Amino acid sequence: MTVELDSTIGRMIRRRGAYANSSTKFKVGSCIGALLVLLAAGNQLFGSAGEVDIASKRLPPLTDGHLLGTDHLGRDLLSRLLASMGWSFSIALLAAVISLTIGTTVGVLAASSTKIGRTILTRYIDLSISFPELILAVTIIAVIGRGFLPLTLTLGFVSWPHLARVVYAQTLGLWTREFVLAAKLSGVRPMRIILSHILPGLRNTLLVMFAFIFADLLVAESGLSFLGIGALLGDPSLGNMLADGRRFIFSSSLLMLLPCIAVILAVTSANLIGDGLSSRSKNATR
Amino acid sequence: MTLHSEKLSPPPATSGVRWWGNSFVRVILGRVGQLAVLLWGVSTLLFFLLRFAGDPALIMAGDNATSEFVDEIRVQYGLDRPLFVQYFFFLWHAAKLDFGYSLASGLPSLDLVLAQLPWTIKLSGLAIMLNLLVAIPLGAWLGQAPERRTRNAVSSLVFILQGTPGFVTGLLLIQFFAVKLGLFPSIGSEGTLSWVLPTLTLTAFLAPRLTRVLASNVAEAMQTDFVRTARAAGASESQVLVRHALPNALLGTAALAGSQLSYLLSGAIITETIFAWPGLGLLLIDSVRTLDFPVVQASVFVVACFVFFVNTSVEMLFRILDPRLKQRTK
Repeated sequence: MTVELDSTIGRMIRRRGAYANSSTKFKVGSCIGALLVLLAAGNQLFGSAGEVDIASKRLPPLTDGHLLGTDHLGRDLLSRLLASMGWSFSIALLAAVISLTIGTTVGVLAASSTKIGRTILTRYIDLSISFPELILAVTIIAVIGRGFLPLTLTLGFVSWPHLARVVYAQTLGLWTREFVLAAKLSGVRPMRIILSHILPGLRNTLLVMFAFIFADLLVAESGLSFLGIGALLGDPSLGNMLADGRRFIFSSSLLMLLPCIAVILAVTSANLIGDGLSSRSKNATR
Repeated sequence: MTLHSEKLSPPPATSGVRWWGNSFVRVILGRVGQLAVLLWGVSTLLFFLLRFAGDPALIMAGDNATSEFVDEIRVQYGLDRPLFVQYFFFLWHAAKLDFGYSLASGLPSLDLVLAQLPWTIKLSGLAIMLNLLVAIPLGAWLGQAPERRTRNAVSSLVFILQGTPGFVTGLLLIQFFAVKLGLFPSIGSEGTLSWVLPTLTLTAFLAPRLTRVLASNVAEAMQTDFVRTARAAGASESQVLVRHALPNALLGTAALAGSQLSYLLSGAIITETIFAWPGLGLLLIDSVRTLDFPVVQASVFVVACFVFFVNTSVEMLFRILDPRLKQRTK
């Protein structure tokens, strides 16, 4: 009995510790994230994407009103960095929305359907998870072409199976909960139960997954554009900037370091938000 | 008390004993079926994607071909027949492992792919070994170390590394070790030294994630009853970790193995392109850039087989090592 009590108290203390930790994580993550988004959005509204001006190419920082200097085509590095952030964030965000929509639909349907439907859908999800996303994305892009819209659609289309698996497991659990059973027994139609009980029950999981998917897709977008098969050549994209940085790696380290730092900050802040949210919702339901 | 004894009694033996047995044979047969479905699905998707993309005869003929030449190609490759006939024709050839000839070099595309595959496998193998060498000790230490400043600093570092895409790590490594210090070649695959940076880059894709999962598994295992029993029986902290908590935590990473492989291959594509490494990833990217579709198809086919065989063997291995999995996945 004492052992039982001890471990309960220990768990409570640990939980409190984890809670403080998770809330700091969430705060730090959302502060950095909000700052990045505000900068990118501000530049989108009031700034420029960095005009090409060969005459003033590759200026060092702090010359001629260029805070961070210019790149090999004379584009202001700071403007280009902020524009790229806006571009890449938008793709990752839109693709994450697509992924979330498909993944939730398939996951909930799989968990709510008959045995045959469930087997087919889960098998399909398992198979698509086992196949490397990036290779699928590369192949699809080879066919439908590069640019903003194709990239968004492709990334959204290849990334949903992971989410569907999580949603599936969670929905299966929700179907056995008392309030859902009660609704079922009182004759509420399944579609109505899904809309008013299952989906609200999934909310926390979906928020957490959204943060992680956003991070993954940002990496995927910049990776594909870096390889030269994502964004079009002139598009402002973090991946394009990294590719430029690689080309001039022997002459200028700033050109490469800036997008590197931007990617690391953005991905880490999204991970922090996801981690913080996930331990917070775990604590709330326990 | 009755409740407890019920839990401890062995599970009823109805489902396990059938004519095909509960054994590996059945699992392997099931997996072979899955492979067939996977390959069929991937080939079908590719076939219709490519048809959707445009007339393959035009792509094959090149930009300034006469319409007679295009028609000739169309008849030669059977592209004048109905779509469904073409589709079955394609499946029939794919089943015979015939993906046609590369549009760029004119060589059989499967041969091209198989020639590059060993480079990818060797690099991946090295990266996996390094990954395990780094992630297991680090994860084990992070999982049980008390919350001091060093531990928190290391765990934050791992967190940031997890948020650093592998190709960014690769670029930073090139910048530092190849450009600034000139220790290693920045691209290419000649000599022993050229293996260092690609291996490190590929490891950077895998190690942070494995470390973090392992750390949380170890932390969880340290709270279990069997660890408490081991402590009560007088085992030292290091014994508890190495003999009791760590094996359990490692088995818990079984679920991660599949997605690690998928990360590895995605990482391999990017790493090979950064370092101009003559592997499957570089070939795939090059053929995507030049719209060399037979090679794309052959690469994707080979990747699907590769993923399948590695995943299946890892799953088998974990089933041998972890008796709990046998019970769960009947």
